[in-house]
Amino acid sequence: MDVVDARPILAPLVSFVCAALVFSAGHRAAWRRFWSFAAAAIKLGLVVSMLPGTLRGTVYVYELVEFTPGIGIAFRADAFGMFFALVSSTLWVLTTVYAIGYMRGDRDLVRFFGFFALCVSTTVGVAFAENLLTFFLFYEALTICTYPLVVHAETPEALRAGRIYLVYTLIGGGLALIGSVMTLNAAGTLTLAGTGVLSREMGGGTLAAIFVALVGGFGVKAAIMPLHGWLPIAMVAPTPVSALLHAVAVVKVGAFGVTRVIHNVFGVELLRELGYARPLAWLAGFTIVAASLIALRQDHLKRRLAYSTISQLSYIVLGAALLAPFAATAAVVHIAHQAFAKITMFFVAGAIQRRSGATHVSQLSGIGSVMPWSMAGFTVASLSFIGVPLFAGFITKWYLSLGALDAGAWWVVGVMIVSSLLNAAYWLPIVHRAYFRPLSDELEGVQEAPPMLLVPILICAAYVILLGLSGEVPGMPFSIARVAVEHAFGLPSVTP
Amino acid sequence: MTGATASLWPLVAVVAPLAGALLAALGPRLHPRLRDASLLTVVTATTVVAGLLVRGTAQGTSYETLVLQMTTRAWLQLRVDPAGAAYGLTVSALWLLALVYALGYLRDDARLARYLAFVMLCLSCTLGVAYAGDLLTLLIFFELLSVLSYVLIVHEQTPAALAAGTKYIVYVLIGGSLILGGVLVTFYLADTSVFVPTGFLHDGMPHAYLVTAFAAFVAGFGVKAALVPLHGWVPDAHPAAPPPFSALLSGVLVASGGFGLLRVLFGVFGVELLAALGVLPWLAAVSAVTIVLGAILAIRQPDLKRRLAYSTISQMGYLALALALATPATVAAGLVHLTHHAFLKATLFFCAGVWIHLLGARTVGELRGVAARTPVVAAAFTLAALGMMGTPPLSGFVSKWWIGTAVLDADAAWALVVVLLGALLAAAYLLPVVYTLYLGTGPYGTGSDGAGSDRTGSDDAPSARLRVPARLVVPTAISAALTIVFGLASQASGFPLALARRATDVLFGGG
Repeated sequence: MDVVDARPILAPLVSFVCAALVFSAGHRAAWRRFWSFAAAAIKLGLVVSMLPGTLRGTVYVYELVEFTPGIGIAFRADAFGMFFALVSSTLWVLTTVYAIGYMRGDRDLVRFFGFFALCVSTTVGVAFAENLLTFFLFYEALTICTYPLVVHAETPEALRAGRIYLVYTLIGGGLALIGSVMTLNAAGTLTLAGTGVLSREMGGGTLAAIFVALVGGFGVKAAIMPLHGWLPIAMVAPTPVSALLHAVAVVKVGAFGVTRVIHNVFGVELLRELGYARPLAWLAGFTIVAASLIALRQDHLKRRLAYSTISQLSYIVLGAALLAPFAATAAVVHIAHQAFAKITMFFVAGAIQRRSGATHVSQLSGIGSVMPWSMAGFTVASLSFIGVPLFAGFITKWYLSLGALDAGAWWVVGVMIVSSLLNAAYWLPIVHRAYFRPLSDELEGVQEAPPMLLVPILICAAYVILLGLSGEVPGMPFSIARVAVEHAFGLPSVTP
Repeated sequence: MTGATASLWPLVAVVAPLAGALLAALGPRLHPRLRDASLLTVVTATTVVAGLLVRGTAQGTSYETLVLQMTTRAWLQLRVDPAGAAYGLTVSALWLLALVYALGYLRDDARLARYLAFVMLCLSCTLGVAYAGDLLTLLIFFELLSVLSYVLIVHEQTPAALAAGTKYIVYVLIGGSLILGGVLVTFYLADTSVFVPTGFLHDGMPHAYLVTAFAAFVAGFGVKAALVPLHGWVPDAHPAAPPPFSALLSGVLVASGGFGLLRVLFGVFGVELLAALGVLPWLAAVSAVTIVLGAILAIRQPDLKRRLAYSTISQMGYLALALALATPATVAAGLVHLTHHAFLKATLFFCAGVWIHLLGARTVGELRGVAARTPVVAAAFTLAALGMMGTPPLSGFVSKWWIGTAVLDADAAWALVVVLLGALLAAAYLLPVVYTLYLGTGPYGTGSDGAGSDRTGSDDAPSARLRVPARLVVPTAISAALTIVFGLASQASGFPLALARRATDVLFGGG
C-alpha cells in the first residue's frame, strides 16, 4: 500500500542541510560537531519512524517533480530501500562519533565534515530513489562528493588514487546512464517500484545490452572483478572515510544498484527465462575466491581489508544473481552484516594507526595486550567473516547456501566453504599475532583507543553478534530483508 | 514413556558455566579462595543438574528447551535424551575433577584467569553439544567449542604450543566447514534438522546428495574424533596443552566428534537408510585402521603425553567402530566405552601432569623409578593403564567385553580380531611405562645417587618421597577409583552400562 509522505525526501535532505550548515558555520568546532550529530540523529529518527509501516507493508512515496509523464524525480521508501537507509544512517551516527575523535587536529575539517554529510545524503537518496533517473542522479552525486574525501590528505598518492577512483566510477556511471536510457527507450518507464519493467518481446539483443550496461555500470562500485581496480587504491583516504564510504556507502550503492537491476528493472521471472544471471553468479563466485586469495598476501592492513571487501561484496551480487528467495534474502541482509563487521575492522585499524602508527599486519605483534578491547572487537568481526555460528556472517552463509541448493547451484556451497576457510586464513593470523605473540618493542607504551574511537568499535562489534542472534526478531534487519524479498519474488507475506 | 517436557534445566546446565567464565574473567579482582570456591560451586552445580537430567531421562522423560529462533525453520534448541544426558554427566563430572587439578597445577600461572575463563566457556559449549536438539544447534556449539579450545591448547604459548595450535585450528576449521556443508545439504533435503529416533532422511531422497552429506559429516566429525587419516592434530595438541586440559581433550573433547557421529548416524540418517546407502562398512574399515594404527604408533613414542595421545586415537576408534556396526548392542557398548575411557585417560594425563609439574619429566625414559617417589600417583597410573588394556575387573575390561560380545552378535568376527589386537597393543604401549615407573633408576627416580638433575630443589634428596599437592592427587585418585567402581558395579542401575542401554533403546526408536 503506497502512502504519500515527505519522510523519504526529508531523510536525504537532513544531511544536505547539515552539509550546508557545516560549510557555512562549521569553522567553529563546536557547531560543526553539533550539526553533524544533530543531523545524524534526526535522520536516524526519520528512518526508524518509517520502520513500523514498512513491516506492515506500507510504502511511503513522495514525488518531487515530474518532467514528462513517467520521468521525474521521485522517492519511495520500500522495504529494500528502507533496509539500506537504516544501515547507512545507523552507521552514520557511529562514524560521526568516530570521525570527530579520529580527525581531531587534522586539516580542512570543514571540507571534510561537509562532504561527509553530503555523501550520506546522496546514499540515502539512492536508497529511496523511485526510478532509475533519481537513482542515477544520486549515484553520480555520490561519486563527486566522495572525491574530496578520498584526496583529503592531498599527497601525490592521494591525488593519484582520487584520479583513478574518478575514472573508474565515472565510466561506470556513464555505462549506467546508457543502460538507463536504453531501458527508457524499451520500456517507456524507469520506475523501480514494480518487479520488472522489461519484457521478453523487447528482443534478446536489447535486453542483453541493457543488462551488461546496468550491471557493468553499477558493478564498478560493487567491485566485481575485473572492475575492482579502484578500491584497494582508494584506501589511502582517512580511516573514517574508508570505513563509511568504502566499506559501506559507495560499494554498497553499487551492490544495491545491481540488486535493483535484477529485482526491479528486469525482474526475477524474466531473468530466469533469459539466463543472464548465471554468468553473473559465476563471476561473483570467482570474485569471492580470487579477492580472498589476494587478501591473503596483503601485509598492509587496510589493503587486506579492501580485498576482503571486494570478496564480501560479491556475496551480495551472488545472492541476488541466484534468483532464489533464500539467496536473495542473504544478499540483502549481507549489506548489513558486511557493513557492521567491516566497519568494526576499519575502526580498529584506524585506532591502531592513531595510537601506534602501525599500518602493517606484521607490526601488530602483541597489540592485544595493550589494546585488548579494540582487538576483541576485531576478533568478533573476524569470526563473523569466517562464518562461525552465532555471528552475523553465519546467517548469510546459511541462507545463501540453502538458496543456492534450491536454485540447483550446488557449487556455491563449495564457494562458501572455501571462502570461510580463506577468511580464517587471513583474519585469524592477525588475531593470533595480536594476542599470542609477545609485545613488539615498537608497540611498547601504546594505549587503548580513546573512548570516542572505542565506543563505536564496541557498539559495532556488539551489533555483529546481535545480527547473528536476532534473525527472527521482528523489526530487526532480517525481517525487513524478508519483506523486500517477498515483494521482489511476489511471494505471500509470512510476516504477521 | 512420557513425551518431551519443556524444561529450563538443560539451559541452566549450559548457561551456568558462562557465569563461571564471567567470575573467572574477573580473576585478579577476586580473592583466589573466593574465586576457586565459586568456580567449584558452579561446576558442581552443573554436574548436579547433569545428574538430574540423567535420572529424569532414565525414567523416560525427555527435556526440551527452545532457546532462540535462529532461522525461519530452525531453532537453537536443547533436547536431552538418555544418550545426551549420559555424555553430559561424563563431561561435567570430568570437568569438575580437571578444574580441581587445574587450580592446583596452574596456581602460580600468570595466565590462570584466561585459562579458567575459557575452560568454563568450553564446558558450556560441550554441554551444548551433548544436549543439542538438532543439527544446527549441534553445529553451533561444536564450532564454538573448536574455536575456544584453541586458547587452551596454546595456553603455554611456547613455540611448540603455538605451532600445535595452528595445526589444530586448521584441522578443526576445515572439519567444521565440512560439517556445515553436510548440515546445509541435510537441511535442503529435509527442511528440518531436528534429531528424530531412526532419522529424518529417507530413501526417497537423491542418493548422491545423501552420500555427499554422509561423507561430509564423517570427515568433519572425524577430524575431531581423530579418525585416521584425519588425526594429525591430536599427537601435537596433547603434549602442548597443559595437562588438565589434555585430560579434558582426550577424555571428552575428542569424544565430542564421536558423539556428533552418533547423532548423525542415528538421529539424522537412521540405520535403515545407512544400510541402503551401503556406507557403514567404509566407516567400520576406517575405524579399524584407526584402532590398529593409533596403537602401533603409540608404542614408539618417547614423550608420555604424546604416547597417550596416540592411545586416544586408537581408543576413539573403538567408539567409531561400535557406531559403524550399528546394532543396539554395539552402540550401547560404544557409549559405555566413551565414559569409561574418559576417566581412564584423564587419570593417565593427570599422572603425567604430576610428573611434569614436580619433576619436569616428560619422556618415558625419565620416569624410571619414579614410583618410589610418587607412590600414589604411580599406583593410579598403573590402575588406569591396566584398565586401558582391558584387565578384569576394571572399567576398561567391561567396555571391551561388551564391545567384543556385541561385535560377535553383529556377525563381524573380523572386528573382534581388531578389538583384541587393539587391547594387545595397548598393553604394548602402556605396560613398558608401568615397568619403567617401578623398575630401574633414572634421573628423577630412586637410587640415582644424586645425579643432580632433580629440579624440585637441591636440598631434596632424589630418593625422597615427593609431596604431591592435594589438588593434584585428589582428582587423580578419584578418577582412578572410578576405574574400579565402574568395573565392579557395571551392572548396577544408574551406571554407564544401564544408561547406555536405555540410550540405545531411544536412539533406535524403541522405549
